Amino acid sequence: MSAPVVKMAGRCFHQLYKLSNSAGRLASGKTGIRQFSGAVVQNAAEPWRLLGAACVQRLAVISADQRPLEAKFSELMNQMELERSLMSDHELRLLDDKERLRRRQAVDYDSDEEEEADRDQDIVLTQDLEDAWEQRLKGFATQPRARGVVDVRLERADRCLAEPLLLLTQQEVGPERLWLLPQTPWEAGETLKSTAQRALSATPGLDLQTVFLGNAPCGLYKYRMPRSVRDREGLTGVKVFFFKAVVSGPLPPPAPSSLWVRRSELKDYLKPSYLEKIRPFLLNL
Amino acid sequence: MSLIVSRCMGRMLCRQTHVPRIFVEEHCLTRQSPWSNTVLTLHTSAPLRAEPKKKKKIDPKREHVARERLKKRLKKLEKVPPELIPIEDFITPTKCLDEARGRSEPRLPFEESERRALLLKEWSRFKHAQHTAEMEAINLALDAQREALEELKIESEELYKAAIKPDPLVFPFSHEGPCYTPPKPKYDAPDGKYHDITKVYTQ
Repeated sequence: MSAPVVKMAGRCFHQLYKLSNSAGRLASGKTGIRQFSGAVVQNAAEPWRLLGAACVQRLAVISADQRPLEAKFSELMNQMELERSLMSDHELRLLDDKERLRRRQAVDYDSDEEEEADRDQDIVLTQDLEDAWEQRLKGFATQPRARGVVDVRLERADRCLAEPLLLLTQQEVGPERLWLLPQTPWEAGETLKSTAQRALSATPGLDLQTVFLGNAPCGLYKYRMPRSVRDREGLTGVKVFFFKAVVSGPLPPPAPSSLWVRRSELKDYLKPSYLEKIRPFLLNL
Repeated sequence: MSLIVSRCMGRMLCRQTHVPRIFVEEHCLTRQSPWSNTVLTLHTSAPLRAEPKKKKKIDPKREHVARERLKKRLKKLEKVPPELIPIEDFITPTKCLDEARGRSEPRLPFEESERRALLLKEWSRFKHAQHTAEMEAINLALDAQREALEELKIESEELYKAAIKPDPLVFPFSHEGPCYTPPKPKYDAPDGKYHDITKVYTQ
């Protein structure tokens, strides 16, 4: 009973915190959150430009390295499982062979005492079988897990295989060129999801197979224009809707003006307010 | 009262005796064959006449009913409950009950058992923290999506409706998950050989 109550309380606190946070941010500056004072403003009076953006992730290809605690625990589990198990046929054979060897090498070994079946048999030790199997396993070469040389190159999609990567492209926003998730303005007659798909295909040199996860946007980033622009163009601000996608099929070759970035490296490329809005739907676990 | 009853009885008896006489006379009138008298007096049966037995309409029905009854009895006898298919996983194979396979139980020293207990507790704390972090992250993601949808609704109803619609192309969704080593480029996996010994039961 207490657990759901605690969760609900946590949620309420979280919402309160968010509201207070947004109120604080209003006072500070550009990235204003609209006040939900009850009056819904019409589109015509305060036009907002809509943009569709694609949040494309290349998911992890290999499993991540175990933390020290995880390594210790998995070792303990294996040990406990071994202790509580029964011996398999293979182990029994090993014991049998040991016993036979011991008998043969004993000082008072009498080959007549040996059973009929075993007498003429050369001992093909189970140990030899094990060695043969191990040799065969070693003969198979696997790809190495850690590839330090590749991991440094940001434009390669096959870097840091153990972590999910996010696609960033360089775009012109106003007077500056910024690293952002690929985005493009919405045109009348299409859904926002198709806008996001168009944004992705419009990136020069990028040849990618993706699966878009659903029709609904996963996040929003909006900002108000400075007063001069607002007065000049009559544009209140911009709303960017993000759509999640996952890379399917083979990894693409490197393309100009596009980067594959880890979550820990995002803060080096994105603006803080933008990153703040993106982080929730990236599930930073 | 008794007189009336006796008179009624008398009349009935007379009537009864009446009827057959008339009937017999009529019968005599219709049959005008030379054998009529002998036919009437002789008691004929099927073998005497050497005719096939006349099948009355009721007979096939009776035979049919008798056959069905026999069939029902047969079915009842044959109604054995079907043998249940054994669940292989629930039957412990006799190999496992062999005592020679048991390992000697190691006596753990105090330090080792302490270490294990402490490690298990640390693990449960770690997993609990991981779980709460996951729940928190999922809730944040849902909040972000809700906010985006609210804003979209404010902007345009049709776009909102298009966003709400479920996408039929997403499912069935498949993705090859993380393995231990990266995939080898241009690797031709050899076909495996296997000898299928699953037991197939029929009821």
